[in-house]
Amino acid sequence: MELMAPAGSYEALAAAVKAGANSVYFGVEQLNMRTKSTHNFTMEDLPEIARVCKENGLKSYLTLNTIVYDHDVSLMKRILDETKASGITAVIASDHAVMNYAKKIGVTVHISTQANITNIDTVEFYSAYADVMVMARELSLLQVEAINKEIARREVTGPSGKLVRTEVFGHGALCMAVSGKCYLSLHSHFSSANRGACVQNCRKPYVVMDKDEGTQFEIDNEYIMSAADLCTIDFLDKVIAAGVSVLKIEGRGRAADYVFTTTQCYREAIDAYYDGTFSSEKVADWKERLSTVFNRGFWDGYYLGRKMGEWSDEPGSKATKRKVYIGKGMKYYEGPGIGEFLIEAQNVKVGDELIITGPTTGVVELHLESLRIDDEPAEVAKRGATITFPVNEKIRPSDKLYKLVPVE
Amino acid sequence: MIRVVQHRHKCIGCNACVEADKYRWRISKKDGKSTLIGGVEKKGWFSVLVDNDEQAALEAAKQHCPVNIIRYEQLD
Repeated sequence: MELMAPAGSYEALAAAVKAGANSVYFGVEQLNMRTKSTHNFTMEDLPEIARVCKENGLKSYLTLNTIVYDHDVSLMKRILDETKASGITAVIASDHAVMNYAKKIGVTVHISTQANITNIDTVEFYSAYADVMVMARELSLLQVEAINKEIARREVTGPSGKLVRTEVFGHGALCMAVSGKCYLSLHSHFSSANRGACVQNCRKPYVVMDKDEGTQFEIDNEYIMSAADLCTIDFLDKVIAAGVSVLKIEGRGRAADYVFTTTQCYREAIDAYYDGTFSSEKVADWKERLSTVFNRGFWDGYYLGRKMGEWSDEPGSKATKRKVYIGKGMKYYEGPGIGEFLIEAQNVKVGDELIITGPTTGVVELHLESLRIDDEPAEVAKRGATITFPVNEKIRPSDKLYKLVPVE
Repeated sequence: MIRVVQHRHKCIGCNACVEADKYRWRISKKDGKSTLIGGVEKKGWFSVLVDNDEQAALEAAKQHCPVNIIRYEQLD
């Protein structure tokens, strides 16, 4: 099974590479579903992204899956031309204009979750354009399995001549609307989710009001429109058994440490399934690690047959740890493997859990065993100090140093 | 007079400003972003002076812009 990680930045891309993803997906310019919420790449970044992915043996997928209007067609074509020229593996599309042009110029197409594929006949329809298709997140695993079996029985092949492969979302935020087709943000803020500009007002608390008398009731036990996050790690064996070929982690708007932790856990889980060591003890460990990074509480989505969603009971993240900025990277001494950092905020002390992130470094996690100030051993370093400590891989001046603290 | 300012590179090409006043805003076929007609660029910001009678349409464009990149100020 292919593990696909989100890459909303070079830091996240490097984190995905390091954590063992088989592929990454990302957006450029304004025609992707995270136009507003992430630092999007631009078309100039395409060759570099393709290079990083090729050098590390990953496939690279460009998301171009918003609603496309006539005035977007010219930009859409330019993006696809650049995609082809840069050697990006495929484009993830939902608009037929994108599929049509990509096919015309020879760019491999994957069908986005926005296309809401829920049956084998739709798979057959899109097989004229695509070899990989994301199944609607509202399908159960039984339904996904039935589609996969039917693909084999009917010999539904994509443009490559091979059987169509299916992809599902495995982990991350879920939308309250079917296949993300939500009007709420457009309605309230003129900011269309279907153009990648969702303002996430479903994540807020609401009151119910009696219009006759104006009596208001606060719905305080859960956020009635805010779906809890999907997590499939405890039944990943069933996902694989359903014939799914690609497992996608949601989160192009998330930081590198989120991408690193989620990708690493699912990498280990997939490997454990194939080497026969998948166990409930391992699942418990993965779930604990997954809960340290951004999440709204976990549920199993619709895969196990539920018809109604499960909602979050918090306004934001339920992560058990958060990262606090400490300082920046300065130098790396290759021989002894020592990193030098400038402390710009907060204290750092021996015993702290640290994270180093950067566009090339990705994510490095470490437990601070010792530190030195002016080459003298120290227990604590305060703001303004330049410190050194052992790091078993190269760090760079573009790196940031954080410490992980428990969320109270 | 009114000075209209647009932070163009943040535009997501939703077309809302064009719907508000198609004579003042146009989506560029080159990059899919909205162009302030008559606007002059300085450090990424485009600006133009327009007559007061455009105020209502400018207000609609400003209100409807999902990325809040349109501003205007009355000069007299």
